[in-house]
Amino acid sequence: MKLTIGHLYPDLLNLYGDRGNIQCFRKRLEWRGMEAEVIPFLSGDTIDFSQLDIILLGGGSDREQELVCGHLKNIQQDFKNYVEDGGVVLAVCGGYQLLGKYYKTDKKMIEGLSILDITTEWQPERLIRNIVLDSPLFDTPVVGFENHGGRTYIGSHTPFGKVFYGLGNTGKSGYEGVLYKNVIGTYLHGPLLPKNPQVCDYLLERALKRKYSDNIVLEPLKDELEHLANGYIAGRYSDKKYILKETIKRHI
Amino acid sequence: MKLRSVLAIKCAKCTSYLIKKLNRGSGVTLPGYVARLVDPHILSVMVGMVKEKTIVTMGTNGKTTTNSILYHALEAEGKKVIINRTGANMLNGIISAFVLAADKHCRLDADYACIEVDEIASVNVLPQLKPDCALLTNISRDQLDRFGEVDITFNKLKTAVTSVPDTKLIINCDDVLSYTLASESGNTFVTYGISEQIFDDISRSEIRESIFCRSCEKKLEYDFFHYGQLGIYHCPNCGLKRPEPDFTAADISLEDELYTFSMDGMLIHSTARTPYNIYNTLSAYAALNALEADLAHFQDMIESFDYGNNRESIFSINSARVQLHLAKNPIGFQQKISLVLKDEKPKDIIIQINDTYQDGEDISWLWDVDFQYLADAEAATITTAGTRKFDMGLRLKYEDISCDNTTDLRSTIIERTKRGTGNLYVIVNYSGLYSTNYMLTELEKTQKGGEET
Ligand SMILES: [Zn+2]
Repeated sequence: MKLTIGHLYPDLLNLYGDRGNIQCFRKRLEWRGMEAEVIPFLSGDTIDFSQLDIILLGGGSDREQELVCGHLKNIQQDFKNYVEDGGVVLAVCGGYQLLGKYYKTDKKMIEGLSILDITTEWQPERLIRNIVLDSPLFDTPVVGFENHGGRTYIGSHTPFGKVFYGLGNTGKSGYEGVLYKNVIGTYLHGPLLPKNPQVCDYLLERALKRKYSDNIVLEPLKDELEHLANGYIAGRYSDKKYILKETIKRHI
Repeated sequence: MKLRSVLAIKCAKCTSYLIKKLNRGSGVTLPGYVARLVDPHILSVMVGMVKEKTIVTMGTNGKTTTNSILYHALEAEGKKVIINRTGANMLNGIISAFVLAADKHCRLDADYACIEVDEIASVNVLPQLKPDCALLTNISRDQLDRFGEVDITFNKLKTAVTSVPDTKLIINCDDVLSYTLASESGNTFVTYGISEQIFDDISRSEIRESIFCRSCEKKLEYDFFHYGQLGIYHCPNCGLKRPEPDFTAADISLEDELYTFSMDGMLIHSTARTPYNIYNTLSAYAALNALEADLAHFQDMIESFDYGNNRESIFSINSARVQLHLAKNPIGFQQKISLVLKDEKPKDIIIQINDTYQDGEDISWLWDVDFQYLADAEAATITTAGTRKFDMGLRLKYEDISCDNTTDLRSTIIERTKRGTGNLYVIVNYSGLYSTNYMLTELEKTQKGGEET
């Protein structure tokens, strides 16, 4: 079995170790004896969505997102059809914002793909810290690092997770990211997948089911190191004393 | 001098004395803070007492080494020079350097001041220092969580230099961001650059952002890359192109692991082991020229200069050769991997990654380093340590490179030096540098004293 992963605009959106997410998809397929093909689509390339099983839309600076915006117009309808048809998408940081209707910065209005009914507005104070989520999809915490100036309002959409520690979509809502069909949009980098193999396997399984058969169940891998890395952050922020120390440090 | 400034200096000196007396560390920032509380204008007052010129060094990589070259070059000409200590490059640290250098009459006896300034502090510091020159090494991605993005660093530096329009800039024109910043700033500037391809594939690879023209937003084309976004670029659309540098190093060759190069008519047999240090030398030389400083002893000075700067130290422990290296961002780490690969002997490697505030709490940059090359490093063992040892381990796991991890760095070092390959690399990020250096120094001494652990 084989999955084809499209990495969209790595020449523009390539921040915060997006490559780690790609590598995680690839290796977790290979370790199970399956094949992975990664196709980077540079800005201006034509994209045949029918050949793709997973799409990664990564993060970029506000300036670079604006450049991406122009290219998105050409693929908007195809991308939307792909999502509605159950295509798997992981959109991180800037990529997450671009799934929505718009991203309003202090200077400009960046038009998004309008695939989801979400909007983002920029504020000068950046939301930067480690973050721990409880996601309804998994029985173990999702951990990562957030760093965003945008506040994302997801309306009636389902969030990716509830914020256990950290700031999340708006810094106030108590929720992080968005889930829609087989799309996960999130501010978590770090990168997201290596430390959260449950998320990686969830997306891989969705993609395999869509392409091959509903009966596919991924066999487990030896994930001791993944769990230790995940547990280190989850554990650190379950410690009330540590959180108190951290809070004091941030306010002096 | 105003009474207030005198008082500020005296208070700072008392604070420094107390910190040392109470054994509360080296006290490089608190005296500056106290001085500023007493006299908010103390930095301008102090810098006004510098007899000749003031130069600041900024940028992502290489500023400590470059600043040290400037300092030694001026000292070699018999000048008295004020310099801030490594790491003390925020406002309070810089003030400390000045006030603690004052004599008991609160006077400064200094011809030059060479000050390293952190990008985040530059907006505040530059208007107070009004330096004659500002040297910018490069603008790359570093400690993302402090700045958000490289664009934010760019804007901070731009605000800083435009606030001092009389300051002459010394710019690496191989870095399109630095060159754009200089062109947009309105300040006069001098450029330096290297036109030959000298970096190997490993140090060159990856990390290419900001490769879009900032004026017309078209993708830049490169004849070749040095590393990161540095290289020989041009914009196919608006005509922006890497200029012919005012100062350049040429005929670069590697002899017995050390670089030789020609610069402004001199053939320099340097002690530099990495091409980055050619850049650092070149930039310092360009700046000294711009300052119109004496340079009669420059060649002698640089040929015996220690680029190690305490950042790369070699120890002998249990008859094993132990090297300590600092790698605090992707470009720095890539450089260390390239160094490790040039050593063909079998080796053990320990990598310590911490995530304190000084290190940057976001360690996702580890995924921007091409660790796959370590598979060819002839490493008998690779061990990860530090608060983020599991993340570092994962990074290697996802390149199919096996490693173990340790919570006790000291015992691992002892074990590896006794039973390993006799060739140990210890690579640490920022916060682990001083403690590990101390530990290795102490292990080396203990062993010489005969009481092996
Ligand atoms: Zn252009």
